[in-house]
Amino acid sequence: MLGVSAAEIEIRWGKNVEVSGVGLGALEVLQRTNWSRSQWQQLLSVHAEQGNLLTDLNMPAILGSYGVESNQVRFAPQFPFEPGVNYRAVFRPENIPGGGGKPISSTFQWPLTRTQATTRVAAVYPAADVLPENILKFYIQFSASMSGGRIYEHIHLRDASGKAVQLPFLEIDEELWNRDMTRLTLFLDPGRIKRGVRPLEEVGPSLEPGKSYTLTVTRDWRDANGLPLTADFVKKFAVAAADRESPDPAKWKVEAPRSKKTIPVRVDFKEALDHAIAQRALRVIDPSGFAVAGAVELDPTDHQWSFTPDQPWKQGAYQILVPTIIEDLAGNNIGKPFDVDLMRGPQLMTNSMVKIPFTVR
Amino acid sequence: MKMLTRSFGLAALALGLGSDSFAINWTANFKEGAPNIQSISQLAFGPDGILFVADSKAAAVVAIDTGDTKASPGAPIKVEGINQKLAALLGTSADQIQIGDLAVNPISHKAYLAVLRGRGPTAAPVLVRVDASSQLEVVALDKAKFSRAELADAPMDKMVGEGNRQSNPRMESITDVAYLDDKVIVAGLSNEEFSSTLRTIPFPFKTVEKGASVEIYHGAHGRYETRAPIRTFVPFKVGNEPQLLAAYTCTPLVQLPIKDLTPGAKAKGKTVAELGNMNRPIDMIVYQKDGKDYLLLANSARGLMKISTDKIEETESISAPVTGGGKKGLTYETIESAKGIEQLATFDANNALVIRKTDSGQNLEALALP
Repeated sequence: MLGVSAAEIEIRWGKNVEVSGVGLGALEVLQRTNWSRSQWQQLLSVHAEQGNLLTDLNMPAILGSYGVESNQVRFAPQFPFEPGVNYRAVFRPENIPGGGGKPISSTFQWPLTRTQATTRVAAVYPAADVLPENILKFYIQFSASMSGGRIYEHIHLRDASGKAVQLPFLEIDEELWNRDMTRLTLFLDPGRIKRGVRPLEEVGPSLEPGKSYTLTVTRDWRDANGLPLTADFVKKFAVAAADRESPDPAKWKVEAPRSKKTIPVRVDFKEALDHAIAQRALRVIDPSGFAVAGAVELDPTDHQWSFTPDQPWKQGAYQILVPTIIEDLAGNNIGKPFDVDLMRGPQLMTNSMVKIPFTVR
Repeated sequence: MKMLTRSFGLAALALGLGSDSFAINWTANFKEGAPNIQSISQLAFGPDGILFVADSKAAAVVAIDTGDTKASPGAPIKVEGINQKLAALLGTSADQIQIGDLAVNPISHKAYLAVLRGRGPTAAPVLVRVDASSQLEVVALDKAKFSRAELADAPMDKMVGEGNRQSNPRMESITDVAYLDDKVIVAGLSNEEFSSTLRTIPFPFKTVEKGASVEIYHGAHGRYETRAPIRTFVPFKVGNEPQLLAAYTCTPLVQLPIKDLTPGAKAKGKTVAELGNMNRPIDMIVYQKDGKDYLLLANSARGLMKISTDKIEETESISAPVTGGGKKGLTYETIESAKGIEQLATFDANNALVIRKTDSGQNLEALALP
């Protein structure tokens, strides 16, 4: 026997699991071993409990690396321990070559870092309270990062009587988040908007003109820390006739800056455009042909765009470049409606730019 | 997971020839190290145990040499409660496990799972292999032989950052990836514009291979035409002509010749079936049974749909409305018993491998091809 005394063995939890009091003789033996992971797991296994004793018996141990360091047996998990999960470590000294003694076990749970709900729906775009029948998408902006995976359970569209609209959204497994998961893009099911497809003809549109609806985001949706939202979010809106007209830059009103100071150039679209694309896609080009650095702002209804340069304007002819991919609320592009009626034979524009000139005097 | 095994590959295996006979070194330009995979969703196998991993966050497809090239017919894999087992292995709770895709290595018949550990923006991508004895093993992604294809940015993206100070929230989710005839085919869906990009990227990847994208359109009634993002697709061949069978987000099933997918092109699919209302396609595979070609489609509304594709060439495009529950285009039968299928992959000539949702969790199990 190597003199392993169960009384002195202690399992400590931190970033790693460390077992002390194993005895120098035993540690020397362990240091010399060339064990596989499963052999190490015979000595020290660490488990994430799944809440059912019977099934837990057949569960694999947590993946990680083993070693002897600072007179301790150390297990470093491949992924960090998570708050709120019950962990259990079992050390079996009888599996030290020449060793013996009863198994020692220890359980641990990291406390939750936050317990108070703080995340909320900060905004839903479009912000207007009257929307076209063929609206293509909503953006849900959250105040902090969210969790994904089961999002459609938390989003509801109901008519004025409180009846749920059946499957109004395009539900896809690859949920359309931005990188930090603070903004979700929610497409209305295009099968219920496009003319000439079966869902629209048989089930009808999700939204009908003249009626009003509520879009609800329920507070049981968890944020990235696993906490619910502070409250349900409700957006009420009325539905107007379908918009099948392309945005037309020729009708936009441009207000050039009246001086060379760092004041904005403004464009009035005369209708609401897609919040995200309008925010991102327009560009200001200076008289020498370079893109101007500055800040974009949209009015709350996404009708008006303004751009304030970082540096004062120069005298001369500027241009605003508008890519034709810019969309209105119904997904109509410049020169290309959402669904093109080929009988009407419109001139399709390719993906390109429309240039809007303005002059700084 | 989408893979069409080239017939000569099968013939070579049957004759006991190794892939060396064809002497293509697919991994000649692979690097060793960390491929820096930020997210993991779709998977597809290529030749010689090479696995294509779609990384939407990094806007890249990473080819990983799994080294899993020992031929084996495999054995029926069955893992009950695989979400719980993955949680136990990765040291978390089962509700923090997301299985994005399932692929089977056609050489070793081991299953590969694209797993996310966590549900928030810092969820860790994990690639898990399941062998014939149903043991789970994590495939190291920090030390791998790999090659990357960075996906070309959308037309507008190159302008961001020049003039506009804020960060760009536009992302493109990779909704499917497949390998066919030395090409990786990638479908993506933007979180801003309603448009789909379909890229065909030659493999082996060049240093920085920017896949050229194709705009996909849908024609209806011979009258309306719309942009039509592709949700899921599978490559197959009609005669010698490589084709895609694709499901649009607006539900028709369409056929697209791969030769039409040239950079900058505008391609229009031929509608060969309507998947019906209130239904969304989840995953699909193609297979042969008794000398006939079929498509098996997992969907949200009903059991698996088994669609005969034998007559696909003669099928006229559905251009008039399909009403009153009448069927037009390709005919299908519904396998009612196969419900809750979340992932579908070809296992061998007679079986598929599926992730099936049950009351107690998710199972990884075989499903006899109907």
